This record gives sequence, C-alpha cells and structure tokens, in this order.
Amino acid sequence: MAYTVLAHTADTGIEATADSLAELVADLANGMFAAVGRPHSTGERHTVDLQVATASDPEDLVVDVLSELLYESEVRDMLFSEIVCEPTGDTEWLIHAVGVDNAHVDVSGPPVKAVTYHRLEVRHDSSGWYGRVYLDV
Amino acid sequence: MKPRRVGDVTWEIPQHGDMRVPGRIFASERLLGPIVDERSADQVVNVAHLPGIVEASLAMPDIHWGYGFPIGGVAATRVSDGVVSPGGVGFDICCGVRLLASSFHAADFAEHGDAVMAELDGRIPRGIGKGGIAPASLVGPVLASGAAAAVGAGYGWEEDLARCEETGTSVGADPGVLSEKAIGRGNAQLGSLGAGNHFLEVQAVDEVFDVAAAEVFGIAENMVVVMIHCGSRGLGHQTCTDHVRLMGDAMRRYDITVPDRQLACVPIRSPEGERYLAAMAAASNFAWANRHILAHEARAAFAAGFGMSPEDTGMRLVFDVAHNLAKIETHDVSGEPTRVCVHRKGATRALGPAHPDLPDDLRAMGQPVLIPGSMGTASWVLRGLDENPAFASAAHGAGRVMSRKKAKAQSGGREVRHALEEQGISVRPRSVGLLSEEAPYAYKDVDEVVDVCQRAGLAARVARLRPLGVVKG
Repeated sequence: MAYTVLAHTADTGIEATADSLAELVADLANGMFAAVGRPHSTGERHTVDLQVATASDPEDLVVDVLSELLYESEVRDMLFSEIVCEPTGDTEWLIHAVGVDNAHVDVSGPPVKAVTYHRLEVRHDSSGWYGRVYLDV
Repeated sequence: MKPRRVGDVTWEIPQHGDMRVPGRIFASERLLGPIVDERSADQVVNVAHLPGIVEASLAMPDIHWGYGFPIGGVAATRVSDGVVSPGGVGFDICCGVRLLASSFHAADFAEHGDAVMAELDGRIPRGIGKGGIAPASLVGPVLASGAAAAVGAGYGWEEDLARCEETGTSVGADPGVLSEKAIGRGNAQLGSLGAGNHFLEVQAVDEVFDVAAAEVFGIAENMVVVMIHCGSRGLGHQTCTDHVRLMGDAMRRYDITVPDRQLACVPIRSPEGERYLAAMAAASNFAWANRHILAHEARAAFAAGFGMSPEDTGMRLVFDVAHNLAKIETHDVSGEPTRVCVHRKGATRALGPAHPDLPDDLRAMGQPVLIPGSMGTASWVLRGLDENPAFASAAHGAGRVMSRKKAKAQSGGREVRHALEEQGISVRPRSVGLLSEEAPYAYKDVDEVVDVCQRAGLAARVARLRPLGVVKG
C-alpha cells in the first residue's frame, strides 16, 4: 500500500508519494477505492481499460482521472482495484483496472460521492512526487 | 482570528484581509471550541471572500469542517453583481429531509415494529451499488418536473406536493444542460437512499413544545413518524463535479480569485452561472422525487407490516425541506429589499410566518424546520420565525465533531448496534461495519444545536422525536 488515509471531520483524504506521476495517480486512485471496500477473493474479476482525457496541470489531472474512475465504477456497479496509469499523450491517459461487481465487495467505508479540489496538492521535488486529495463521502 | 462574542450565541470574525464581509457564527461557548479548533471557522472566513456576498458569511450551530464551504454555511450574494458557487451547495444537490406523520402510536409500533422493520429492510435500496426503486424511464420526466412526475407515475399522493419546499418542483430546471455522465449515474439510482449519514428512521414524537404549531403540522405526542434523509445521489454529485471544473476555468475570464479551489464561482448573471442554476434545479428535481419515491415505499412497508392499505396508515407528509441548495430570494439587505442568491450548504431554509411561499395551511405558523439528530439520538421539528438573522436559514443536523476514521477506531459496528438495541432501537444496516462511523459520539449534541437555534432566533422548537428503528446503508 503506497497511500495513507487522512482523517477529515466530514470526508476522507488520501495522501501518497511515488517516483513518477503515473504511479502517484494510480496510488491515489487505489487508495480511493480501498477506502470503500475490498473485493472478495471469489468475485469474478473484470479487466477494465479506460482512455481518459485530462488537463495537463498535475492537480487537475488527478481530479480528472479519479473522477472518471468514480463515474465508471458507479455506472458499471463495480469496485476497482489494481489500478495502473499510463500517459499516452500530454492530455491523454490509459487506465487499467480490475473491476469486481459490488455484490462481491467487503465494504469498509461509505461510497465516494466526488473528488474535491479542497486542499488538493500535487508536487514534484528531488525526492519524487507527492499528492493529496480529499473525497466527499 | 478568534471570533469575538457579539450576542448571547452570536460570534463575529471581523472583516480583515480580502474579506468582503465579516464572518458570523451562531454557537454556544461549548459548540464554538471545536468550530475554531478544526478550522471550519477558517472556511467561514474563506467564504467571506466571494464577490457580491452581503451582510456576513454565516455559520449555523452545527457547522463543521467541509470542503470549500463549511458544512452549515450560509452565504447570500447579490444577484446584480454577485457570484454563484456550486461548492456553496455541495455535491449532494438538494440533499434534505422529509417527515411523514402516521395514524399509529408508539405502542402500536411495539406490537408491529418487527414486521415493519423487516419490510423496510427488504424494500429500501441502500449502500454501495444498490439500484433504485424507480425505472430509468422515469428519470427524464423527474428531471423536468420533480416530485410531480413521481406522483404522475403512481408514487406518493397528489396532496404530498403542497407540503414540499417548491412543491417538489424546482423553478428553472433544464435537464438538457446535464451531462450524459450525470444522467448515466442517476439512471439506476432513482428511489435509493445511498449511504454515509443518509437514513430512513422510524421515530415517535417524544415531547411537544408548541402544541398549536404541532397541531397545524399534523403531529402529536406518541405519534409514530418516519424521517427520510437523502439527496440527488450520483446525478447530483456528477453535476457538481462538472460545474466546479467548468467554473475553475471560467473564473480566470471573470478575473475572480478565491482562497480555496472548491469555492470556484462565476457571476450569477453569466452564461456559466445560469447554466449551473438550471442544472442544479434539474438535479434538485431528482432529489425531491427520490425522497418522494422512498416515502411511497415506506408507506407500503407500514401497510404490509400492519396489514392494511397505505391510505389507512395515515402517513401524510408533514414537510420536505432541502439543506443543500442555492436559491434566488428577496431579503432585506441594509434595509432594502434585495434579490440575492442564498447558498445553503448544510443549512435548512426556515421561512417565517406569513411568508407567501408557504402553503396556506402552514402560513400562520411558519415553515416546519426538520433537524435530524445523530443515529440513536433525538431529532427535532422546529418552525421558522420572523426576523431570522441568517437569510431565513437554520441548522440541518447535529454536525460531526469526529472523523470517520477516529469514530471507527473508538468502537466497532457491532458494539454500536448492540448499544442501540439496548435502548430499544431496531437497527437495519446494509453494512454493520459502517455503523460506528455514524455513532452518536461522532456528532455534536443535537439538543444543544437546537437550543442555539432557538436562542439565536433561527427557528423555534415544536417537537422532539425519539428513534424507534433505523434503516441505513
């Protein structure tokens, strides 16, 4: 697990560090879904590949990717895990995930309503990438 | 900056820096402590930066730390030169509370309660990934007409509509401006409760404080009532997401800067502002109808549990009121009637007596104001007052004081369930593990919140309700 769940009075925060922006986005996304639940080992695993158009700014990019994953998980009625992100252009990302039907999920937190810009932070320095995002639950 | 006391339960943060108005918090001394400590007072300050805000950035006694706006925040912005901010409404557009009366007494529920709770358990979709009661084909009509479309499809009763804020249909709704994603999220969720702090609760009227108002509202001591708390589900969440993103870009064109990106806003009278208000109204129609459909199902559950028809249950609607909306209203600003956009983010509209927007039968008493407590504690019915000092707004709940993470660390879901059942409260969770996140210790004392509402002139007590059964996600 390369992320940390942050306490917030009303909501939930996810914080992560990574060597690359792609790993950071994936860690934050995996953290977002892990805050909701874990798939049963018996649940059928579906491979999900998504092409996502994003902003080039790293903060907006994080919100764009997580919001897209949230939308897809809701309309597919699935929980995602094992998310891997791969840039395919300046503003295009390919996202791979494993989806398991929500009927086969051990729920550990309330569903995420949305990804917020509140206290959003994504930065890069000599030690790598750092990201923090708060989720409305 | 620490708030300074300016009244019995009123605290002010003086205008400083780029604030356009002061901040004003309604709280007792005890409630104020966590408000300052957890930084929600800072969010009151941030909201005071919005262009066109008038009088003050206001906070209800149940205020707590949110994202952008505090939960429990109220901000009125001039229509002529002010802004509208989706963050001032929140992701759960038109989240609100509905209260149903009944012909049953608490003693009747003791006899039939297990059957009713089993029916509710089976009928109320809730929690992660649970589809709604209504078909996707009803979503289009609902977005245009709200609860009226639900009644037209056979959910609920025609007479219910008069007892809904806006008669359950928001003015200015344009479903055509909603994104495909928003409609996609809503299609499978019409008639569903959701999770988190949303609930359906069977309650009994514990004590009446204002007999005349209670009579007009249609409630009496020992009556069984049903309270439903939920909103616009994924459709509303996506609508807010879409517009915060759009406004974040548009703000640069309007040369607007805000201290928190979640406060993204545009002029009310701009194409982006008008588009948001039309989308928000359509999403609020989804929410009015969502609560309406759940109420229909609750009537069916009681009818099955008691072995009678839904009509014989006497489950009339007391009122349905939102606590996450932005509405164009007329209020006195510096002594002048002024058109303002009142953002209520976790704050209940509370119209006083004689207000023309109230139904005829409620006008003498003012609007019912519904304040749910935390799970296992009292909920309250209040009434709106003349001279409300917060643009006709009051609290919307107990208000969290503890993060979900900390609440879960304090005790397990099974312990919380056991404690509730020890009090005689029947609990029907979809996920037992999540009960501890909503445990009473994670919230403020709702009785103290209501006391501040009364002392501040936000609303007056009518009746206290005690829980008998809880249905949660």
